[in-house]
Amino acid sequence: MSDALLEVRNVSLAFGGVRALSEVSFDVRRREVRAIIGPNGAGKSSMLNVLNGVYHPQQGTIRFENLEFRGMDPHRAARLGIARTFQNIALFKGMTVLDNIMTGRNLRMRCNFLQQALWLGPARREELEHRRAVEEIIDFLEIQHVRKTPVGRLPYGLQKRVELGRALAAEPKVLLLDEPMAGMNLEEKQDMCRFVLDVNDQFGTTLVLIEHDMGVVMDISDRVVVLDYGRKIADGSPQEVRNDQKVIDAYLGVTH
Amino acid sequence: MDTFPKLLMRHAQERGARPAIREKDRGIWQTWTWRQLADEVRVLAAGLAAEGLKRGDHFALIGDNRPRIYAAVCAAQCLGGIPVPLYQDAVAAEMGFPIRNAEIAYALAEDQEQVDKLLEIQPQCPSLRRIYFDDPRGLRHYDRPQLMSYEKLLELGRAALGRHPGLVDEEIAKGRGSDTAAMFFTSGTTGVPKGVVLTHHALIDRSRVVAEMERLGEGDVVLAFMPPAWIGQNIFSYAQPMVAGYCICCPESPETVVNDMREIAPTYYFAPPRVFEALLTQVSVRMEDAGVVKRWLYKYFMAVAKRVGTRILEGKKVGYLDRLLYKVGDLVVYGPLRNVLGMSNVRIAYTGGEAIGPDLFSFYRSLGINLKQLYGSTETSVFVCVQPDGQAKADTVGPAVAGVELGFTPERELLIRSPGLFKEYYKNPEATREAKDAQGWFHTGDAGYIDRDGHLRIIDRAKDVGKLADGTLFAPKYLENKLKFFPYVKEAVAFGADRGRVCAFVNIDMDAVSNWAEKRNLAYSGYTDLAQNDAVYELVAGCIAQANADLAHEPELANSQIHRFLILHKELDADDEELTRTRKVRRRFIAEKYGSLVDALYDNRETVHVQAQVRYEDGRTGTFSADLKIRDAKTFAPAAAKSAA
Amino acid sequence: MDLAFFIEVLVGGLLAGVMYSLVALGFVLIYKASGVFNFAQGTMVFFAALTYVSLVERGWNAWLALLVTLAVMVALGVATERVVLRPLVNQPQITLFMATIGLTFVLEGLSQLIWGSQPHGLELGIADVPMEWLSQRWNVNVSQFDLFAAFVAGVLVAGLAVFFQKTRIGRALRAVADDHQAALAVGIPLQHIWAIVWAVAGFVALVAGLMWGVRNGVQFALTFVALKALPVLLIGGFESIPGAILGGLIIGATEKLAEVYVGPMVGGGIESWFAYVVALLFLLVRPEGLFGEKHIDRV
Repeated sequence: MSDALLEVRNVSLAFGGVRALSEVSFDVRRREVRAIIGPNGAGKSSMLNVLNGVYHPQQGTIRFENLEFRGMDPHRAARLGIARTFQNIALFKGMTVLDNIMTGRNLRMRCNFLQQALWLGPARREELEHRRAVEEIIDFLEIQHVRKTPVGRLPYGLQKRVELGRALAAEPKVLLLDEPMAGMNLEEKQDMCRFVLDVNDQFGTTLVLIEHDMGVVMDISDRVVVLDYGRKIADGSPQEVRNDQKVIDAYLGVTH
Repeated sequence: MDTFPKLLMRHAQERGARPAIREKDRGIWQTWTWRQLADEVRVLAAGLAAEGLKRGDHFALIGDNRPRIYAAVCAAQCLGGIPVPLYQDAVAAEMGFPIRNAEIAYALAEDQEQVDKLLEIQPQCPSLRRIYFDDPRGLRHYDRPQLMSYEKLLELGRAALGRHPGLVDEEIAKGRGSDTAAMFFTSGTTGVPKGVVLTHHALIDRSRVVAEMERLGEGDVVLAFMPPAWIGQNIFSYAQPMVAGYCICCPESPETVVNDMREIAPTYYFAPPRVFEALLTQVSVRMEDAGVVKRWLYKYFMAVAKRVGTRILEGKKVGYLDRLLYKVGDLVVYGPLRNVLGMSNVRIAYTGGEAIGPDLFSFYRSLGINLKQLYGSTETSVFVCVQPDGQAKADTVGPAVAGVELGFTPERELLIRSPGLFKEYYKNPEATREAKDAQGWFHTGDAGYIDRDGHLRIIDRAKDVGKLADGTLFAPKYLENKLKFFPYVKEAVAFGADRGRVCAFVNIDMDAVSNWAEKRNLAYSGYTDLAQNDAVYELVAGCIAQANADLAHEPELANSQIHRFLILHKELDADDEELTRTRKVRRRFIAEKYGSLVDALYDNRETVHVQAQVRYEDGRTGTFSADLKIRDAKTFAPAAAKSAA
Repeated sequence: MDLAFFIEVLVGGLLAGVMYSLVALGFVLIYKASGVFNFAQGTMVFFAALTYVSLVERGWNAWLALLVTLAVMVALGVATERVVLRPLVNQPQITLFMATIGLTFVLEGLSQLIWGSQPHGLELGIADVPMEWLSQRWNVNVSQFDLFAAFVAGVLVAGLAVFFQKTRIGRALRAVADDHQAALAVGIPLQHIWAIVWAVAGFVALVAGLMWGVRNGVQFALTFVALKALPVLLIGGFESIPGAILGGLIIGATEKLAEVYVGPMVGGGIESWFAYVVALLFLLVRPEGLFGEKHIDRV
């Protein structure tokens, strides 16, 4: 498949004797919304952590654009254009929304320590230029009213939005979302869905999201991978996956 | 200068480089000068002309306060079109009526949300030919032929101007003051909305009279944060700036208004009482959370302000020490507070539309904010009465503004004749005839009278006002409001129509009274127990006596003093149909339900037995029985004699 | 009470307070970013002053000496992070604290080895004498050098504030100070940032060392200025730069006022311990310090 942006081939991952992933393969096409779902403990988070280099698989390879690699580190993943959000929000609680999102542009800023320490022209210009980019994101996510508010004081749903903003600020090619709707009420979920779709539509960002809750994902994904006990049990359009007997069994097998 | 487009073109010449509209976008305040605004309007009007908008066509505007919305208002007026702003928070179904009623063919929608609503009702509104949109976000994949972006419309306009540069200016020159300038739909309490048709002359005349009275000029700044479809916002952020040349600012989003206020520091401000109330609540909540020192300072200096603040604002005589204390308070409390509220530079603040509580009113005035009341409606281009500086009172709306004539029907209904009166209700001659009689009087539906200082005092809706047995005025809602302004009184129901004197039911405010009781170590087991406590009766009797003392000073209402009252054993509740869902008392229903209690108020019993079915919160029902006390309240001799003192 | 004299004492106290703030600043920087209480800060102050004065005494140009000392201090900071702290990542805080005590002795030994142990006088070309026009006009004696030191401190703090608020690295520093884990997650290299913090702390130590060196001479006792910073930190909070400034001013002013007005009643000499009394009183009222973060541990 030539239009695949990200390709996972035969990836296996084990912690000690425990197999988290067994020979999982799938691909992510440019500009699509790709979901990885599965019951609790299916290996979704492990998969995401393999994709951005936190875990190194014992077997298998990952292909991103034209680079093939087995293990990488989060820093390099970020440089290559893979950004992510976290299931348990990892924001700087004492810093403002603006500053939090600005940290997302850290890797895009070039001025060195000396230029910044002396607050030289290039550093100032760079700062302004990035501030403009961040303001676009603030506008996009409709969080102008909390721009200068410390993140720790925001309600949960807004924090999630800010975290999405910080990931977007890096202008990633692929954005990995780790349970973006977890812990949200219905209205917040709907908002988040809208933002996810808008991100995909407006910025052309490829999205990989993992979700526990099947309902929401089915509405916004182009294709869905289903994992169960570390194995891929289905892969296809939401419609196909929904009617797949193995998927139905896997989900019925666990209690919610 | 008899039309708005002509005014705009004059500003573009006289103060072309001065700011006309600011908008916070991407975190930065962007400025449109008068010249830029005029240029934009000209191009936009040319675009609309190219699209076929003709004299007399209606043009719907749906969106929040945005420079482009205001530019479009003026662009339509340039061509003799009639802008019809609609409430942006209305649901789609509510937009159907005005669009069909006004046969609207063109609409400007702010964003996807509004476009979706219009597309939803389009099948029922065949007249709607074209929907322009400002913010393209989310609309990229829409392929409905009616949709066109604002930018595209500007492009059409530029092309049209290229072919015929004088296109728009010629149309502007054709405009007359007697032309219709805009149409506003009022919801009306009953029935279908009515389109209120206002001419350029009416809007400009009223705007100018008050602008002159308040000396508004190009140095003033207004933050536009109420819906543009509301006549009040339109006057303050379109008609008056067009007359006086001041700058309006559009907040970044509805959620940022408080912050934007602080950054812009407007000089001229208008909001209904509920906005002032919400702001005060915010302040109070923040003060609850503040440290001990801050809380103490706030309490102490607010007490000082309450004592002397209003007098100082009005330039009255105040002792040297109090003046000094107030100065200190200004430094540590009032000034910072005004800053937090974004009212540091406010020169004139108006409120209107409904009654404002005296405490709320004097809170702002004692901080040194020149808050005043006004009276008016859509049909009168707002300005009928305005309180002049130094004559602000919580319970009146001020004397008539220049040009306005006030009158009353025998039933006390307020009548108005003013150059600002509306032309008609659109396509509703029957309603027009009902509201505006052959002599040109507008029947407001409000009951009121002129007090001794010449200020208009609105007491109630005319249909709710009755008479006591001796024929004098009885305005139950006015009395009830008077009681409700006391923090200890949650609800009150006044009786007296066709009776010899006024009596009342009272609901105490559980929070305030229980707080009060705790400070006095009063034990009580619940609402009913607390309500029947003798000390609480004393407390309420005190409130009523104070209200009576006030009433005694008002010749028209002196007979409406409350003679006897009882405190109800339960809180009036919408679930029991005693209140409407918007928490208005249903007086007739209550009078029937508690008929025996009302009777007891009017014979001379000291207590009355009540037995009632009560529904507990968990859904169970039970019977309740108790003896309610009835007390006399202190009444005062009418103050006609006193006024000589 | 003589008002001019009172003002003189107050201003003198405030200006002395600025000098305390300078030292406290170094502590705050490191504590904020890495949660380490750097016991060696006082020695760093001494080491910086000693290096500078020794270079100048060897005939170096003053500016050159300043640059070289700065380089030495930055290198020292970076090296400390590399050699002492990095191997101890994820160890309990007390271990890190002990490591900085060790660093203190190493630095003291090192300075004696390189520069010897005799005291030096330090001159920056601004005499420690009262401002003439102030004395003549208002009869208030305020040291010209104190004013200079306050000015330098002001510039330093303003510079740091801009650096922290407006630059990428500053933001990254605050991010690290806020939440190590989250910082790692967005690709901020922790160790890189810690090295920068230590370097900046070295720079601050140099400024403090020069100011204190002029005042008290460059001698071993200079390391004890750190003891003066402690009450400042208690008042201002360990994590707050404005707290360090205000804390310094409060300590400086109360200490001087107490010395002059209360001292005679109890036989004098209270300047050396009064600061701690103030700090203890503060602890009773606001244990987290003026600007410190309130830590509420959920049980």
